Amino acid sequence: MSETREKLLEVQNLSVTFGSRRHPFKAVDGVSFDVYKGETFGLVGESGSGKTTIGRAIIRVNPVSGGVIKYAGEIISGKVSRATDKRVIRNIQMVFQDPMASLNERAKVDYIVSEGLYSIHRHMPEAERKERVAQALRDVGLLPEFASRFPHEFSGGQRQRIGIARALIMEPQFIVADEPISALDVSIRAQVLNLMSRLQKERGLAYLFIAHDLSVVRFISDRIGVIYRGQLMELAGSEQLFAHPLHPYTKALLSAIPMPDPVRERNKKLIVYDPDQHGYTPADPPRWEELEPGHFVRGSQRELDAYRKILL
Amino acid sequence: MSLFKKSADMLGDRLNEQLARDLDESAVLNDDTLAFSFAEFHPEAAERGGYSNYSYWRATVRAFFRNRTAVFFLCLMAATLLFTFIQPLLPGQKDPLEVHYGEWGLPLNNVPPNGEYWFGTNSIGQDLWSRIWAGTRTSLFIGFSVAVAEAVLGILAGVLWGYVRKLDFFFTELYNVLDNIPQTLLLILISYIMHPGVSTIIFALSLTGWLGMARFIRNQIIIIRDRDYNLASRCLGVPTRRVIFRNLLPYLVSVITMRMALAIPGAIGSEVFVTYIGIGLPVSIPSLGNLIQTGRSLMQMAVLRYQLIFPVAVLAVITISFYIIGNSFADAADPKNHVN
Amino acid sequence: MQDNVILSFEDLDIRFTLRGQVLNAIRGISLDVYRGESLAIVGESGSGKSVLTKSAMGLLDANGSIAGGHIWYDDKDLAAFKTEKEWLTIRGREIAMVMQDPMTSLNPLKTVGAQILEAVQLHQGLRGPEAKAAAVQALADVGIPDPQARYKQYPHEFSGGMRQRVVIAIAMACRPKILICDEPTTALDVTIQAQILDLIRTLQKKLDLTTIYITHDLGVVANVADRIAVMYAGDIVEVGSCDEVFYDPRHPYTWALLSSLPQLGVKGEDLYSIQGTPPNLFYEVKGDAFAPRNPKALKIDFVKRPPYFDVSPTHKARTWLLDPRAPKVEPPEHVYKLRERGGVGYV
Repeated sequence: MSETREKLLEVQNLSVTFGSRRHPFKAVDGVSFDVYKGETFGLVGESGSGKTTIGRAIIRVNPVSGGVIKYAGEIISGKVSRATDKRVIRNIQMVFQDPMASLNERAKVDYIVSEGLYSIHRHMPEAERKERVAQALRDVGLLPEFASRFPHEFSGGQRQRIGIARALIMEPQFIVADEPISALDVSIRAQVLNLMSRLQKERGLAYLFIAHDLSVVRFISDRIGVIYRGQLMELAGSEQLFAHPLHPYTKALLSAIPMPDPVRERNKKLIVYDPDQHGYTPADPPRWEELEPGHFVRGSQRELDAYRKILL
Repeated sequence: MSLFKKSADMLGDRLNEQLARDLDESAVLNDDTLAFSFAEFHPEAAERGGYSNYSYWRATVRAFFRNRTAVFFLCLMAATLLFTFIQPLLPGQKDPLEVHYGEWGLPLNNVPPNGEYWFGTNSIGQDLWSRIWAGTRTSLFIGFSVAVAEAVLGILAGVLWGYVRKLDFFFTELYNVLDNIPQTLLLILISYIMHPGVSTIIFALSLTGWLGMARFIRNQIIIIRDRDYNLASRCLGVPTRRVIFRNLLPYLVSVITMRMALAIPGAIGSEVFVTYIGIGLPVSIPSLGNLIQTGRSLMQMAVLRYQLIFPVAVLAVITISFYIIGNSFADAADPKNHVN
Repeated sequence: MQDNVILSFEDLDIRFTLRGQVLNAIRGISLDVYRGESLAIVGESGSGKSVLTKSAMGLLDANGSIAGGHIWYDDKDLAAFKTEKEWLTIRGREIAMVMQDPMTSLNPLKTVGAQILEAVQLHQGLRGPEAKAAAVQALADVGIPDPQARYKQYPHEFSGGMRQRVVIAIAMACRPKILICDEPTTALDVTIQAQILDLIRTLQKKLDLTTIYITHDLGVVANVADRIAVMYAGDIVEVGSCDEVFYDPRHPYTWALLSSLPQLGVKGEDLYSIQGTPPNLFYEVKGDAFAPRNPKALKIDFVKRPPYFDVSPTHKARTWLLDPRAPKVEPPEHVYKLRERGGVGYV
């Protein structure tokens, strides 16, 4: 991964803590990664691993308890100025997992899609607003006539595309997509994935694609970060990660991917990951280190040395 | 309902037209080469396939009118309300305050119901029929006013309390303080300070009534405020005010209407109560409260019991109707009940 | 009914009344389930796959009813069952079910042990310490470590995967002949998912169970199924052995389903995508329900419902493409690739 590419989003040593002061719970613990302009960064982990929390910290919904998040070089975590806040709203948008819960059931599609316009272009003429809504709907493959309908009239895939249209109308640079296809039917998933990659090509969008399904992430992502219990375990280009997984958790995840192929499934060998297997000691604590360009792994010195040997 | 069916049928027709475009059915069935040739593909038609026409309000009204009991009480209440207002305009109605005198100049007091005085007269000779309707007017006015005040104050405070996290502490403390003052005590105090009258009663009842509403709204808001669609609005920089009016309150319409429907008989009940303990409206302003209060004192005498029974019956009709209508509407407005 | 058939759906029609309209959820389905096999019913939400299996347990929602056809089990027509009492002879005892979300099938206020004990007492007629021992054994059988201690815990003290094991233990305590697994792993993480599927398979072999999986996940299907039935819009469009359906699919919907999988996609290229959305079953479906979304549909697809055409003795599909008069249509290339590539996955 060349360092000359422009960093759009930098997450540095990010921690997010929930719960009371007496019973703190670290949902995200010292996570660092960058997202380059126009790329898709996949974040994979099981439920409760903190992947959604990271996404929500970026869009400023979850407060950050340690570390910083920078967007185009500017710090956007913690207390920021009004202007920065506006910039974040304009440039970073989110696509949600459940299309049933992420649309306002009591508003028409017209309002839902243009919600963002009301706040950034207060005095936009009605005709222009209508035209923008129609265009946004066409952009996601829906018919402009849908604007006058309510969300419950649509199927899951159509609703998800309405959600994407709502984000697109802000003309963002960066989209946090939190499990955007896992609540959709199989026959609909491809539509949404194709739409996302088409929009990326046309507009140079960058995605943070959060998912639990490694096979989907592999298809869409340029680089993948594997997260387990709030910490990144491994980060690499997606082909690199599939070809040379180093961390045992990554290996376990890869071995468990359900494959739509009976012969392969019959011969599948499951690898089970036990977090205690590392045997970390205070003398040799785990560290986050780049072993080859763009390939980061978490491990103790002993483990890292072993990983290096594998890569040679 | 028929309208609903019709629009569904029309949509189905439009869909079929589109799909069957260029397709002459019998020709296809009779001609193998035609039948087994490729049809034109219409991506737009494919997109329309999943469409269902469901309208929240239409389904709510439908569900409500399916409930026979609720419809009965709705009619009953509408009739009562209507009659309350047109009663003074009807010919031959008596003034509720006028004392009627007999042949020897004596007041016609405690006359049992007869052709002239339909509900009889009271202890000083006023016509009970016209007093009951005048009283119902007063009480309903109080009920509606208090319910509206409660709703406005309660919703405003409740929404801020539930949605603006910084205000949570303030409102919680305020609620705890105010809620610990016994309402009866407050009512008595205010009645002593201000001179008794309709506005005093409305003020006194509204002063504490909004608390319950505010807490209720707050809890509802907390349940829905972190749903994805609200997070989406936050990401889009939608101002709090708009989130409240477009995202939160529309979801609470059903529960708010139910609370309000219950607040009206509640306020009437409170008015009856404060008048009953003797600190409410003066006798010169007829209300269900003071009618029942007078009636109560005569309850021991079987012949005079009609003076209690008539106002209580009207109060019962109003209370039960509002209660049942409110409940059924809330049920009907719940999308879960729109299934069949 | 043939000897080796344990459960048989015959010409089944199921309708729901929804907001004053009639929805044809199941449209004339016939399907045999063979003794000891593992059958996967694949379909999207709304295809009727859950409705079909629920009808065999008398669990249809109150607004749904069997409008025609039969469900044969053990020479009894379950479709003719009227009372709850009749269903109780089948439900749990003969046919048990494991649902998607384990939390909904467990009582959060009772210990896990008490819930299994209940099932053991009810269905195995054991009492006292004997029953308790059987319950602890049931926990051990589904691979829960330290069953003695876990017995006294409440459902919230279990992880998602462990909870699903408990649900399976309860279902198995009734010694059913058929186990229906409705999206058993959808709510679980990938690593746990594989373990649960392994567990069900082991139990199936050990207890000579018949299992019916309901799922939309073709990865799960490839892992567990002996035979596959593909459902679309309330109808079974293709049925065949696992290998036949994956390696030699015949219905355009099956093609589309397989080709659109991201697992088989090539990075940088568009995935094969199915246009549009499934039909609204409030309207009568004419011809082949998939036709409006099928770019290669024939004219007859819009007019007349295709019959089943046999591909092999075990494989049939409901599509006019198999009619000798039909033009030759090649499946999308992904379908061919599937076998060559042997799926993707890690190297």
